[in-house]
Amino acid sequence: MTRAADLSLEFADELRGFGASLPEDFAAAATALEPRLSEARLEDWARAGMELAHASLRSWEAAAEYFRASPVVIDRLGEAGMTGWVRLASDLSQKSSLMAAAFLKSTPAVLDLLPPAELEAWSQQGERLCRGNWKSIALSALYFQVSPELLKSMPLPSVNRLIDIIDQLTERSYELATNCLESSPAIFAAVAPADREPFLNFARAVTRASWADTRLYFERGPKMLAAIAPERRTAFLDLAARVTLDVGRQGFPLFADAAQSLATMPPETHGDLLAFSSRLAAGSPGAAMEYLKSAPFIRTRLTPEQMVRWSDMGAQILEAEHNPEGAEAYFRLESQRAEEMLAALSARVELQSVNGLLRMYAKALSGESVAVMSSENLVDRNIGWVTSSGPTTEGTSIYLPPFVATFEDREENFQVYKVFTTHQTGRMEFGSFAYVFDAPGEHAPAKAGEREARIAAERVARDAIAGVESKPAVEAATPMQRFFNLFAERPLILGIFTVIEDTRVDAMTAREYGGIRRSLRHLQSHEAQHRPAIETMGLRQAYVENLLRASLGAPEEVRWPRSMQQYMTEGLAALKLAELEGATVQDSAEIAAAIYDIAVRIPNVSESSEADGKFDTLAEEFTSMAPAMPSGESGDVEMPQGDEMDFENPPQPEFRGDFKPELVQLLSRMKQMQEGGDSEDGEALTKEQLMELLQNSAELDLDDFSQDELENQLGMFLDNLEKEANAPTGDPEDDANGNALPDGGKGDADEADLPVQIDWFYYDEWDFRASDYRPRWARVGERISQEGGSDFYEETLRRYHGLVMETRRQFEMMRPESFKKYKRLEDGDELDLDLAIEFQIDKRAGIGPQARIYNRRNKIERDVAVAFLLDMSASTDEEIEKPRQRFDGGDDDKDFTGDPRQYFQWLAARRARNNTEPPKRIIDLEKESTVLIVEALEAIGDSYGIYGFSGYGRDNVEFHVIKDLDEQMSERVKHRIDKIEPIRSTRMGPAIRHTIHKLDEFAAKVKILILVSDGRPQDHGYGRDRTEKEYAVHDTKQALLEAKHSGITPFLITVDREGHDYLKQMCDDIGYEVVDEIESLPRRLPTLYRHLAAD
Amino acid sequence: MTTGAAGFQQIAVEDFRITEEPFYLPINDEVELFETAYRDKIPVLLKGPTGAGKTRFVEYMSWRLHNREGRGHEEGVPLITVACHEDLTASDLVGRYLLEGDATKWIDGPIARAVKNGAICYLDEIVEARKDTTVLIHPLTDYRRLLPVEKRGELLEAADGFLLVMSYNPGYQSALKDLKHSTRQRFIAIEFTYPPRDQEAVIIERESGCTADAAMELAKLAEKVRNLKEHGLGEGVSTRLLVYAGKLIAAGIAPRRACQVAIVWALTDDLEVQRSIEEVVASIFE
Repeated sequence: MTRAADLSLEFADELRGFGASLPEDFAAAATALEPRLSEARLEDWARAGMELAHASLRSWEAAAEYFRASPVVIDRLGEAGMTGWVRLASDLSQKSSLMAAAFLKSTPAVLDLLPPAELEAWSQQGERLCRGNWKSIALSALYFQVSPELLKSMPLPSVNRLIDIIDQLTERSYELATNCLESSPAIFAAVAPADREPFLNFARAVTRASWADTRLYFERGPKMLAAIAPERRTAFLDLAARVTLDVGRQGFPLFADAAQSLATMPPETHGDLLAFSSRLAAGSPGAAMEYLKSAPFIRTRLTPEQMVRWSDMGAQILEAEHNPEGAEAYFRLESQRAEEMLAALSARVELQSVNGLLRMYAKALSGESVAVMSSENLVDRNIGWVTSSGPTTEGTSIYLPPFVATFEDREENFQVYKVFTTHQTGRMEFGSFAYVFDAPGEHAPAKAGEREARIAAERVARDAIAGVESKPAVEAATPMQRFFNLFAERPLILGIFTVIEDTRVDAMTAREYGGIRRSLRHLQSHEAQHRPAIETMGLRQAYVENLLRASLGAPEEVRWPRSMQQYMTEGLAALKLAELEGATVQDSAEIAAAIYDIAVRIPNVSESSEADGKFDTLAEEFTSMAPAMPSGESGDVEMPQGDEMDFENPPQPEFRGDFKPELVQLLSRMKQMQEGGDSEDGEALTKEQLMELLQNSAELDLDDFSQDELENQLGMFLDNLEKEANAPTGDPEDDANGNALPDGGKGDADEADLPVQIDWFYYDEWDFRASDYRPRWARVGERISQEGGSDFYEETLRRYHGLVMETRRQFEMMRPESFKKYKRLEDGDELDLDLAIEFQIDKRAGIGPQARIYNRRNKIERDVAVAFLLDMSASTDEEIEKPRQRFDGGDDDKDFTGDPRQYFQWLAARRARNNTEPPKRIIDLEKESTVLIVEALEAIGDSYGIYGFSGYGRDNVEFHVIKDLDEQMSERVKHRIDKIEPIRSTRMGPAIRHTIHKLDEFAAKVKILILVSDGRPQDHGYGRDRTEKEYAVHDTKQALLEAKHSGITPFLITVDREGHDYLKQMCDDIGYEVVDEIESLPRRLPTLYRHLAAD
Repeated sequence: MTTGAAGFQQIAVEDFRITEEPFYLPINDEVELFETAYRDKIPVLLKGPTGAGKTRFVEYMSWRLHNREGRGHEEGVPLITVACHEDLTASDLVGRYLLEGDATKWIDGPIARAVKNGAICYLDEIVEARKDTTVLIHPLTDYRRLLPVEKRGELLEAADGFLLVMSYNPGYQSALKDLKHSTRQRFIAIEFTYPPRDQEAVIIERESGCTADAAMELAKLAEKVRNLKEHGLGEGVSTRLLVYAGKLIAAGIAPRRACQVAIVWALTDDLEVQRSIEEVVASIFE
């Protein structure tokens, strides 16, 4: 019997007490160890195991692992090492047998990766995690468990650092820590070896800054990194770690955003981006990350070289001006300088910046009140136009893409806009939508009528053969529809007509506007070079494509089988007719019809299916022919055979854009009907007619709809078209100067039902940290205030009767103000020399002289405009703290005789008063003051406007017009005053800016802005965070300064008793007053105004 | 007529005659109307925007009428033009006493001279004159044809050829500067508008000496710019400005530049409107 067997026998019973499998494990291990250990050692080994098993209730599990691992471990550790190992294990098992078991179990695998000498360090690390509670024990067991995997990815010191992080997390959440540790092996395996250390560094930074983000980082980090150029990841992680140290909890979100935007950039740019970003990080880590975040957007606007210049500007703010906040705002694109620089560098032209110019240009050219809008606008209306990226028109307005970046030169891109506008204006100016059925053109006779008769006859004959009764066709809604009805292949006729008509408009434009010819040609050839490959098209489609190429002035780009040359020649010759002087839309239609007759005979088979049909370049043949209508006799060519493809019109050149004559005519007819239709075809359109038109029109893209949806879709189009027809045509801005909207029976009763019309304005906001404006930051919605009753107004007048009279009188006294010279007076303060001489002459001549020889300067007309801006924030809802109402027993406290009857009388009176008079709020005082000042101002005749403001957030600053500057005082204004009510926040800056805008538009010598408020400016997002007040105060101050620069005298009145502190800062050298006794506001306001206006 | 040392001519207003035919291209029936009015002694009001040819028309009619009357130019009835302004007094029009040594001397004002000489008296921009001044002409404009000279206590009866012609521009008509009805209802009104493109081109070509093509482009430009009236421009571009532009072009100045100085900048100070018009110019001229 061997020693091993002896030992097995010896301990068998004891072991069996712990667990069924333990004896076997022991026996197997002992047997395996026997050859390598001396007997004594073997026994030591066994005893150590037994000790382990006995250590605690569940430590037998550790013992089992010990037995199982020993045979493997011995090779690595040798006899001596074994002792150390088991000591470590028993140390661990002192704390937790579970931990010890995990340690023992992992040891064999760990020893593959670690030298035995580091075993102790490894175990200590695990031990450190254990704090005695069961969660920490589980965590440290997990540590041992995942160690083999982890150590495959990183050396022990790195693992130690990871454990530091995990250890930190345990202070917050064991669950999170466990989670992170569990996922670590997979994560680090996924990260490239070189990046592991930086990854860990950043992880540590994240954990310190915002522990909860650690898990997110562990979960998503590797994937985010994967999108970044491999050799740049380390740099990125280093940067992120540096930034996080500085910005704290924002670190990870910034990293995530930056990674996301880097992912959208080409990998080869990552190096430069990160290098520049690191440069920024030295001065402002925030700016560095914002730079990365903005990069993709900037890249859409600028070339790489331009982008470098743009970035340098931002770096300069940081490095030369030492303004990190400014640089951050710059790179966040929330600074005016950033936008200006972008605009200056970018070749891209925004519609927004040239809209006004183009509108006036289009008006000049067309002579009509056309509006210029973004194409998106038309698409949104869902009336058949679906492309938002090209120019088009629906007959009354011109729609242009939101930006043009076709060329790399700004001026060239602007020229593109101009060509767009000119072509669309041309459609209006040269009558593309004025088609009249069967009227002759200048070069082509009218044949549409004939064709119609022929088709009708054919149909009757066909019906007769089929034996059905011929139904009369639905009458066409528009001449254009009637024309298109003559063709079976509607897309084909529309395609051809579009080419011909656009050719005509281009030719007319080039003739009429010599100066634009060059840009037009430039764009034409640009388009001609970017046509789709003709080889992939069916023959019929190729035919139309060829017409289009020729119409772009590039007949050399025409590709056509020589065998069918004649068809093409005839088509091109007819196309040339449209370019002749004097050609009208009638010509275009007749030419299109003639070409259609050729094209419809060409099967839409693909070129390859045709035997010898190569697309040939026939430039010579196609450039020399004279304009002519097709003879209609070119019929004898054998047509190629093959499978027909679906016909689809080739794409429109961008500068011509969508052409939908049928819809435009329909729309204009519907508009005429709406306006009372005094036109000849004023007959109402039936729904049947409309549906018929929409259903058949090739101008609508209805292929994607199933039969059921189609009904719905058409119904919706119809609704939208009707709405459209109701809308006023032309440029809405023209109405702005008009006195009133056309009276469409817009009575008071209707008004309530109408949705409030809101006009939106955008204003910059001042970011004092960046020392720059945030461009178009706040959106102010101007609306006419709601109306209430007139009771409030009248009641206030009654209540303050005396005060009203007094202020009126005072105001009337200040009436004469500015100087006007009065001549020919009998008395005055200055002598008119001419008149004096004349007087002398007359006296000598002996004719009755008139001694009117004096001039006088008189204060006669006042020219003052004042805008009152009322704070309508929620806080104005607060009740006014009345001085404690006490019984004062008549006139004097001292007279109080203690007579209870007197006291009860007083009490009853007070109650009665309180019942009739609800407690007064700040807003009530604002309203009362308004009433008083209105009365006073009416007496003096100054122009005045009353506005209220409130809102929530920068997107929704509400601006209520109670009385506009140029509005007459009326009952309605009184009603509106009644409706002044507390709403939400106080974003003062934008409200002030909008008031400045209003005053600017108004002509007056003296302009005053009076802001009545109850406290400091504040709003959601009106500052860096919720508690920050500086931003709001600075922005308001800036807005007030802007007012001064515009020649407006701003003045602030606040009822906030604590107002002095921020007002001093906000108002600097701007006048303000804190009305201590809130109730004196109605009395105070007129007095203040008098002083202001008299200055 | 006296000739000054520096070569300038100095003539009395009543001696001013149009001796050479001024260029005037009749647009409508205005010539016929004016002749009839002159014959029947009906005062004429010329309405229309600035630079549309009102003054030129009066000059042309004055020349033409002399011819038709068969009188030699030397004896013909002259044209007396008064540019009205807000300080224009009755004495300025009728006449006044002047000191001469120790004595006084009466000097006739332009209206008095016209009345005596049977001239056409042309009051340019009449709305600019003070309202009390305009009332002065009332007796002259009805059947009486009398001019009271208050200071001398006289009444002047108009000579045969006398005709009162006034012009005014309803464009910058404001409530303050409108003709009183008692005044305006004493005249027949001939309306002047800018000529159609083709005719305006003829005028420009003739007046400026530029090529027919350039004249046509200018006329086209004018048409487009006039579309902007009320949409940023208070007044359309006048034929006079077009002629100036034509002259610059004829002298060899690049058309775009010529239009910029003679039309765009002359018309407006609004930068956006300027740019818009410049773009129209750029579209028309190569």
